[in-house]
Amino acid sequence: MICTGCSCLCDDIVVDGGVRNACRRGAGIFRFVNEGRAKPMINGEVVDFEKAMDAAGDIIGNSEKLAVYGLDTTTVEAQQKAIELAKTKEAYIDDNSSFCLGDFVELILKEELPTTTLDEVRNNAYVVFYWGTDVYHSLSRHMSRFTYYPRGGKRQRGYEEDRFLVVVDVRRSHTAKLAKKNARFIEVGDDLELIDAILKVLDGKAPEKFAKDAVRIVKEMQKADFNVIIGGLGLKYGLKGDYQQFLEFVRRVNEVTNLYFIPAGCHPNMRGFNQLLFEKTGHVNRYSFRDEEAGEKFAFPKLLEDGEIDAALIVGTDPVNSLPFDIAKKLKDIKTILIDPRQSLTAEIADVVLPSAISGLETGGTMIRIDGVKVELAPFLEKKPDDVSIISSLLEAV
Amino acid sequence: MPITPMEVYKLLPKTNCRKCGEPTCMSFAFKVINREKNIEECTPLFEDDRYSRQRDELLKLLEPLKEATETGLIVTEDLCVGCANCIVVCPVHAAEDPYGSAAGSGPKIEDPIFRLEDGVLKVINMTKCRRYGKNRILCVACRENCPSDAIRFLEG
Repeated sequence: MICTGCSCLCDDIVVDGGVRNACRRGAGIFRFVNEGRAKPMINGEVVDFEKAMDAAGDIIGNSEKLAVYGLDTTTVEAQQKAIELAKTKEAYIDDNSSFCLGDFVELILKEELPTTTLDEVRNNAYVVFYWGTDVYHSLSRHMSRFTYYPRGGKRQRGYEEDRFLVVVDVRRSHTAKLAKKNARFIEVGDDLELIDAILKVLDGKAPEKFAKDAVRIVKEMQKADFNVIIGGLGLKYGLKGDYQQFLEFVRRVNEVTNLYFIPAGCHPNMRGFNQLLFEKTGHVNRYSFRDEEAGEKFAFPKLLEDGEIDAALIVGTDPVNSLPFDIAKKLKDIKTILIDPRQSLTAEIADVVLPSAISGLETGGTMIRIDGVKVELAPFLEKKPDDVSIISSLLEAV
Repeated sequence: MPITPMEVYKLLPKTNCRKCGEPTCMSFAFKVINREKNIEECTPLFEDDRYSRQRDELLKLLEPLKEATETGLIVTEDLCVGCANCIVVCPVHAAEDPYGSAAGSGPKIEDPIFRLEDGVLKVINMTKCRRYGKNRILCVACRENCPSDAIRFLEG
């Protein structure tokens, strides 16, 4: 069984009465599969599914400026249909990666950042950076499945001798508490200072800040031919939108040893959406099919804020919960269609709610793990309609 | 918090009466923590009213002994997020399950020491643990790699 709780897409889950091998979040998805499910609704009233579908078709048909948003928790097949729909309607399309780690995925897809797969990391990585991410909570099994703890390939002695952990964060998080033997925790105020310090060490100069840590880290990285940075949102905010310095840092380190980068995104199929849209348009998110370009102004929160859209098709996400309230409240000014397996705050305010099957549990398909590996889902229940069939019929209606 | 033999000793009668079969109260305290003796075997503590306050305090102190497994391991499920660090670092798992838990996946052997069930750590077979039995090794690999302190040992 594949767990679609986060971007780890753990493939060793066993369901037999209980749920084995899944973390707390993953197990919750399996255990409470039938709880809190959404019902087909129009303006808050439960109706037939067919009726709700017709209403959704009408909203999309009548919309002049449609936005398609979400899609990170659904399958590649459904994303493909949604992109087709957006193209047909000349709509805006965006997912959560515009305020998550989309920028890093774009750099990886443009081959500006060297990347690798998590299986390679398990077999080869020596220095493992966790930069600006508390994976103990966000991707609980990341460290034990792929990076620091497991033994494999060239790293048979695991964390005891064959790995070196570096946790970079602004506070002593739970992940940072694991940095004990063969490890360093670096508490930063400004991430650029640490990048500067490491670059200075590479130049053979003594840095003013992090002198001891930077020298040790560079020494450790030179010991092996495979090192990896798992970068999270903390790194993105730390770089303040200027990726050149970080790219320069990775390039310089790669002159003396090998350093790869993998984003620590949370959504199970965010990479899938980014990759699909990149293949079709050359951009990973925030794309307008009308203007045939991407940009900050086409990000879903920005479109809402500026009142640029008159309808939104939201798939598998909960913007009322995740966006700032001042922006989220503008959802009431536009027509909203929500396709989601479960009841959410957005379902309470949406004009039309279309319940769908849970990807991975009730419907199959493909997802792309955060490192770019394709994972075939193995559903253990059967439920229709799924995201693919719902979006396909909406597409037909248009 | 771990329980130390000295804490137990302080609350015992400290008369070295040998009624429990041990030469001193201190050695009795050690054996109580190792669960080789029951606290009830200290008869003066329960018969003499002079010790009633001490007795209540001692019974409260020894409360965690009941929830601990044979090796002194206590898992607080409410604190566990299911990261599986403990399962992967366990040296016994590494030796017996090289392609399962040693390589990061869920245990592939039938009776691992512990595994994740319903999202939290459950003890399955404590007899495999290096801390089990007479010639035990005081290994703390699982506790050291649990940042949320969901894993504790009685003796610290």
